[in-house]
Amino acid sequence: MIPFALKALFANKLKTILIYLSLIFSIISIFLISSISNGIISMYSSMLKSDGDIIITQSNISDTFFSNVNINLIQKINKIPDVIESSALIVGASPVEKLPIVAIYGATQNRFKNYKLELGNYPEQNEVIVGKSIYEQLNNKNEIQIANKSFKISGVFKSEIGFENGGVVLPITHAAEIFNKSASMIMVNTNLNSNLENIINEIKKLDTQIDAKSTQNFVDNYNQFKIIKTSSNVISLIAFCMGLLGITSLMSITINQRKSEFGIKRALGISTAEIVYSIMIESFILGVFSFISAFIISNIVLYFIKNASSLQGYVNGEISNELAFYIFVASIFMAIIGSIIPALNASKTDPVELIQGNKI
Amino acid sequence: MIKVTNLSHYYNKDLALKDINLEIKKGEFVSIIGESGSGKSTLLSVLSTLLKPSSGEIVYEDTNYKNIKNIDNFRRENIGFIFQFHYLINYLSVKENINLANKKASKQEILELLKSLGIENLIDKYPNEISGGQRQRVAIARAMINNPKVIFADEPTGNLDSKNSLNVFELFSTLAKKGTTIIVATHDKNLALKTNITYEVKDGKLI
Repeated sequence: MIPFALKALFANKLKTILIYLSLIFSIISIFLISSISNGIISMYSSMLKSDGDIIITQSNISDTFFSNVNINLIQKINKIPDVIESSALIVGASPVEKLPIVAIYGATQNRFKNYKLELGNYPEQNEVIVGKSIYEQLNNKNEIQIANKSFKISGVFKSEIGFENGGVVLPITHAAEIFNKSASMIMVNTNLNSNLENIINEIKKLDTQIDAKSTQNFVDNYNQFKIIKTSSNVISLIAFCMGLLGITSLMSITINQRKSEFGIKRALGISTAEIVYSIMIESFILGVFSFISAFIISNIVLYFIKNASSLQGYVNGEISNELAFYIFVASIFMAIIGSIIPALNASKTDPVELIQGNKI
Repeated sequence: MIKVTNLSHYYNKDLALKDINLEIKKGEFVSIIGESGSGKSTLLSVLSTLLKPSSGEIVYEDTNYKNIKNIDNFRRENIGFIFQFHYLINYLSVKENINLANKKASKQEILELLKSLGIENLIDKYPNEISGGQRQRVAIARAMINNPKVIFADEPTGNLDSKNSLNVFELFSTLAKKGTTIIVATHDKNLALKTNITYEVKDGKLI
């Protein structure tokens, strides 16, 4: 069956290529939108997860950018049993030299160890460390301006997280002046096997204006992640439908041109189910090859996106095995569902038309 | 072999065949002649199970058409078709085209069949690599691969020159002598003379 299907596909080269391209573009779109949105979520959640077990933000705030938490809570939180250490972070953004937006992180001293230095020292007063990706794009590698204030570059760090690698880290006191807030969030490290719920309840008692969640809970329920995920799913669905329509229309044209083939098969006693099955096999083969091609092309595109200096490393897609598996299933589903209507039409070809002298 | 009683057929409300009665015996070489639009192709379609008759009875040996549960299987096991145009699939070799009608037929069986038709050297060729007469012989081989009890041929020489047409009819005559019933629809009265029995259809009736 498969050799026959391959021969049929090669015999109709132009249409096969068109269906193949239609599928590839759809699958690449799904791969890119899903992997880039996953990458954004993964980068931000990795950043948060590396900082602790509990995250404290201002309550009723939709985004951490708008959150303002009193940094003095740290002393009280550190006194709660099973709390090892707390740190605070201000998340902001500012233009730096020619770059319109650069992530700025104001961090407490105990968070600096999270940034692995490749060059220089951790920042003191009026100093910053910069991510490797942003450092490479700076004209002045000794000093930068943030909100009309000059800072000396004391070191360069490298991070696998694109948002950090393309960002600037400075002492939280300076960030507090620039962004006019105490802290965007406080991260709490706890003892292994401690009861997180109890600690969260204790933290909530300290201030009615705060919201405390386990890091996992925070990541799972962060509104921005939900928006990104929903947008990605909607765009993926549109790409899927475009692919589906593409394969249905192109398959219909191909099947229409092969009507005499199906007519003779019907006359020879080949059942409608066998004809549908043979077309499904052709679609399955196209689906598999399109998926493999799209997988390779998507990885190449993502590599270039990741290394494009103009994107500062902020766009960093990742194709996990799970995502690849889901997209493989979607690709095969798209190919097979898209060919159902043309296949059914083909199977209904009336062989009487052959006998009546029409070359259908 | 085939007994037809009071067979009528309508396309929507238009009468195509009216009160056809005929009996074709095993191994007979039968021609159905008639003008274009006379109803001969409709009769061939109905006799060959491609078209369900509006009324009347058709009995194949002991099987009434109405009692056939799986028409595809019945067609595959009992009937062979040859059309005016060969309808070989261009992307399949001669062997693969013949295998369409019988997946289980081995290369040796196909080779022997092609040998009996004098075209054994074409087994691995593709339809666009052989002549019109050779294509029609391949179509005949495809119709014969299941050892059908009856072969229906609709204007099988319509696209052939007189020499090849004669060859095809001689081939049918040989097959009929071996016990295969052959029913041919043709407008060529000279070729019809080569058959054992000729039925003429006019305005949907046998005359």
